[in-house]
Amino acid sequence: MKGLSQYTIRKRIAMALLMILLLAIPLFLSGKPYLMNVFILIFYTSTMSMAWNLLGGMTGQNSLGHAAYMGLGAYVASLFVTKAGMNPWLAMVLSVVIVGGIAGVVFYPCFLLKGPYFTLVTIAFGETIRQFVINWDFAGKATGISLPFGAQSFAEFRFMSKVPYYYIGLAMIVGVYILMKIISRSKFGFALRTIREDEDVAAAIGIKPMRYKVYALIVSAMIAAMVGSFYAYYNRYIDPDLMLQTYSVEFVLPAIVGGAAFVEGPLVGGAILITLSEFLRNEFGAILPGINLILYAVVLLVVIRFRPVGLLGWYSQSKAKAFVDTKILKKTDADKEA
Amino acid sequence: MDNPIIEVKNITKNFKGLKAVSDVSFQIEEGKITGMIGPNGAGKSTTFNMICGYYPASEGHIFYKGQEITHKKAYDYTNMGIARTFQIMKPLGNLPVVDNVVPSAFFGRYGAKSLKEAREIALEVLEFTGLYAKRNVLAKDMGTPDQKRLEMARALATKPEMLFLDENMAGLNPAETEEAIALIRRINDSGVTIFLIEHIMKAVVSLCERVIVLHHGEKIAEGTPEEVMNDPYVMEVYLGTKGGHNNA
Repeated sequence: MKGLSQYTIRKRIAMALLMILLLAIPLFLSGKPYLMNVFILIFYTSTMSMAWNLLGGMTGQNSLGHAAYMGLGAYVASLFVTKAGMNPWLAMVLSVVIVGGIAGVVFYPCFLLKGPYFTLVTIAFGETIRQFVINWDFAGKATGISLPFGAQSFAEFRFMSKVPYYYIGLAMIVGVYILMKIISRSKFGFALRTIREDEDVAAAIGIKPMRYKVYALIVSAMIAAMVGSFYAYYNRYIDPDLMLQTYSVEFVLPAIVGGAAFVEGPLVGGAILITLSEFLRNEFGAILPGINLILYAVVLLVVIRFRPVGLLGWYSQSKAKAFVDTKILKKTDADKEA
Repeated sequence: MDNPIIEVKNITKNFKGLKAVSDVSFQIEEGKITGMIGPNGAGKSTTFNMICGYYPASEGHIFYKGQEITHKKAYDYTNMGIARTFQIMKPLGNLPVVDNVVPSAFFGRYGAKSLKEAREIALEVLEFTGLYAKRNVLAKDMGTPDQKRLEMARALATKPEMLFLDENMAGLNPAETEEAIALIRRINDSGVTIFLIEHIMKAVVSLCERVIVLHHGEKIAEGTPEEVMNDPYVMEVYLGTKGGHNNA
């Protein structure tokens, strides 16, 4: 590690420790399927939220129809598996490609609209796809699709225990996070942020706003399709309710609560919100049905009222970060320039 | 003129029924500083925006180095070597100053291949424009003079040959105006042709070799600053007639 500052080294050690912890969790919790399920839920919801955040947080195009891309991904993969008997891994890849293509072609004209009008169209778009699937005989209409059960097999993406799903989900979230980190520091990422701040400025320095918005959408829809396929294989059953607009909102919230301006925002928000909602459901759901949702709403309102830039937006300016950076990670002035 | 980098021929702009610019022609000489003045509502910004591809001319033609650019989009200009600033500053407010300039280094004619390279170019431009010390400040937290400088830095980081400045000194105090004049001259000395719209006469007189005067969407005078300032019609437009029936 020659040439690296103490800060960089310590940061990497912290990341490695976190990874080891995440890798080791199933060793202790494999006997508790409920808790494993919470982790898997966190993994795929946060991954979806990162997909949303590429378009919403980084490009400033707020979509409220992302459940449709996830649902489409789940449907395309499930149809390939059940109707054509295709290998689920291959079906996942095809689903990602097809949904990316659909998003790029069908959604292209929507970018002619800006701000709230764009958001409204995304809602309409999601609902249109849901209605289409509800009325589509081949895809089982409102009954949905059941995936075949059978012997455990990695090739068939079918496991008795939740542990393999945990590791696949973990690989998914880490992979997408690394992709987002790369995008964020690339030419592509700077184009997206410039468009978010001001499209006229983007055009004035040679960025084609339309082109980059469509690229961002395609990447975002592809990740959503991957998560959708994972969801279908994990739950072994999908129906059109998967595309309900309320689910789209659930993918927006982690990014907003965590801090949409940060690549890590959806991860922090996802971990906190899912843990919270599952905890509330368990503790209070039986005492007074519905109280968990009210408490959840209160927490959301508090965050949005007092920390509108998200938890990371607050943390990055706080004394807590200054303490962690200088005392624990030994950050120096030279690191700030890097 | 021997060496026009920009040639504007009979451009007209209609906004629905309103004729904002009518049949204006002029040339911008390569390597020089050319200015455009005129009272409020004279059509300066409209002319400026047509040349910069922000919106198309209703009639007429615009040429850059002999090539017609009348209907080119704004984003096609960057690679040809044309850059602009905005009259109402458009800083990327939530980004640090250096990150405001990095996209220009990526997408402009430097064509930076990596973030490291783009940052080096950006820092060089910030040094040149006097913003280096504020490189890590959020753009929205800076005052007007620095935001005006940032507009120029962002344009310069695309490595232009032709730079359009839209009222870059509006809202500056005399000392800040002096600094801005010095900066514009430095940019011009580095080989960039400049076309500017300005209200501050002192700046126009000290910088420009040629001045174009617009009034009610028409060109009413053109020449050196002295010639233009002594033109009776220009004096009438700016100061009113001696008889006192000033209806401006």
